[in-house]
Amino acid sequence: MNQTQADVLIIGNGFAGIVAANRLADAAVDVVLLDENLHIGGQLLRQVPERLGRAASHADHVKKAGRRFIAGVKAKKITVLNRTRVLGIYPGHEVLIEENEKKVRTLKAGRIILATGGREKFLPFPGWTMPGVISGGAVQVLIKSSGVLPAREILVGGSGLFLFSVAYECLKAGGRVRAVLERTGMLDKLPLAAQLPRQWPKLIEGARFMSRIIFSGVPLRFRTRVVEARGRGRLEQVVAAKVDGSGKIIPGREKTYETPLLAVSHGFAANVELAQMAGCGIEFLDERGGWVAVTDDHLETSVPGIYAAGEITGIAGALKSINEGEIAALAILHKMEKCAESDFKTRMKKLLAARRRHLQFGKYFNLLYRIPAADYLAIPDETLVCRCEDVTMGELRKAVANGYDTPATLKIPLRTAMGDCQGRTCGPIVYDILAALTGRSQADMTPLVVRPPVKPVKIDSLASFSE
Amino acid sequence: MTDELRIAAVSRRPAIHIRVNGRSIAATPGETVLAALTAAGFSTMKKSNVRGEARGAFCGMGVCYECLVTVNGVPKQRSCMTEVQDNMEIQTYEPDPS
Repeated sequence: MNQTQADVLIIGNGFAGIVAANRLADAAVDVVLLDENLHIGGQLLRQVPERLGRAASHADHVKKAGRRFIAGVKAKKITVLNRTRVLGIYPGHEVLIEENEKKVRTLKAGRIILATGGREKFLPFPGWTMPGVISGGAVQVLIKSSGVLPAREILVGGSGLFLFSVAYECLKAGGRVRAVLERTGMLDKLPLAAQLPRQWPKLIEGARFMSRIIFSGVPLRFRTRVVEARGRGRLEQVVAAKVDGSGKIIPGREKTYETPLLAVSHGFAANVELAQMAGCGIEFLDERGGWVAVTDDHLETSVPGIYAAGEITGIAGALKSINEGEIAALAILHKMEKCAESDFKTRMKKLLAARRRHLQFGKYFNLLYRIPAADYLAIPDETLVCRCEDVTMGELRKAVANGYDTPATLKIPLRTAMGDCQGRTCGPIVYDILAALTGRSQADMTPLVVRPPVKPVKIDSLASFSE
Repeated sequence: MTDELRIAAVSRRPAIHIRVNGRSIAATPGETVLAALTAAGFSTMKKSNVRGEARGAFCGMGVCYECLVTVNGVPKQRSCMTEVQDNMEIQTYEPDPS
């Protein structure tokens, strides 16, 4: 059997992964860094690949640091596997991987760092499955990784600061932004002042976004949400409505936008599936943005030797991911006796103090932009919730009324989370809807069980695997 | 080459060609299939499994499986996670056989 051994396997090559890889490689630890994507850097550090051409790009100091870590990964003795997916994690840190959608093999690691990042969350509305409605992240990926605008003009809607980043990238790339529709009220953001002193890099970035958007004359509409997307076969119109302080739609204040493209985003969910697969405990914490991997102070999960770093432990952005990549690497170096006790203690103390600040910052935004139950309860019956299996909100309501009111039992009548995406898209939405419909906290729910293969795999690939 | 959506500030290498549903379109090496299709004006990638409704790319990063196309005869490939290659054959609109 073709099996690779590594001291440390890092799953995910975003900020947390590349930081940990650099630190471990510096101490001559044998590292394998793998990721499903075509290039190193995760979602935030995407850039036009050299193969495509060249793009002048402005990088703030966080992105500059990221580029240095990427250069470090390339220069150091690190085994980099791009386009490689983890299909399963088994006892003894044995990991089943698929390379280039072709070859399946196992990899055995002394320790594992799960740096799987997060994905976007969405609030379904009628028409959100129509071509022309895409995620905010998709807009950024097209622009940053391929140098292509999704349309000459876009409309941006949803909730969270990320909307402004999407609008900014589009303007910077020469596109137009029809408007930004943000669900939360401007006044709700005032307590942000309390966070100011220690978070200047994020605020400078935010200020740059906002000034570009405002000077470009893009209308910013707060307490406004998308209620419907319309079109014949593809998006033509978006209907938006004003909401009051409690999130209720104010009748008679609808506005219709003619637009070929709507970018939506409602925050992020941590990618906890591989942690679940490995048997690591996960917990639901609103302040961390939903379901996250449980860790101790040194980021070791409930499974000894498996660590979690970055968005998987809580949604809070790049600075926390860099910090947690450092913490996980330092903790592992200490366990491997490659770091002096006194040095370990001083460095860890500083890192943990910084982590508390990042978590505080994340908590503020996770609670501010949390989608309230009322928004889920307002989803019309005909709206699709599960895109893979075409399951509607009405079907969900009926199933819950009939007693199928847990993530697992819902699959019996509805096949939610059983399609190609395996619940990546609808899972977090279904959890939120179940909580809204039943009045139960998600903390009391049992999330869906994750089984291998955690991503769809071709039979040909599996056939390439032989003992 | 349809360049209306290709960002002017990006200097590109010479174009290659791929065929989409039999029609030849220009692409740049390094682009994803999704980017090339988007630049050429394609928005529908597949039809949904149950209702057969038109679907296009959604997440853009390999999570949602809404941008599935047939690539060189291999069905259900994520166009957002596949790089274009010269002479690639792409087929959109492939619902699951039922």
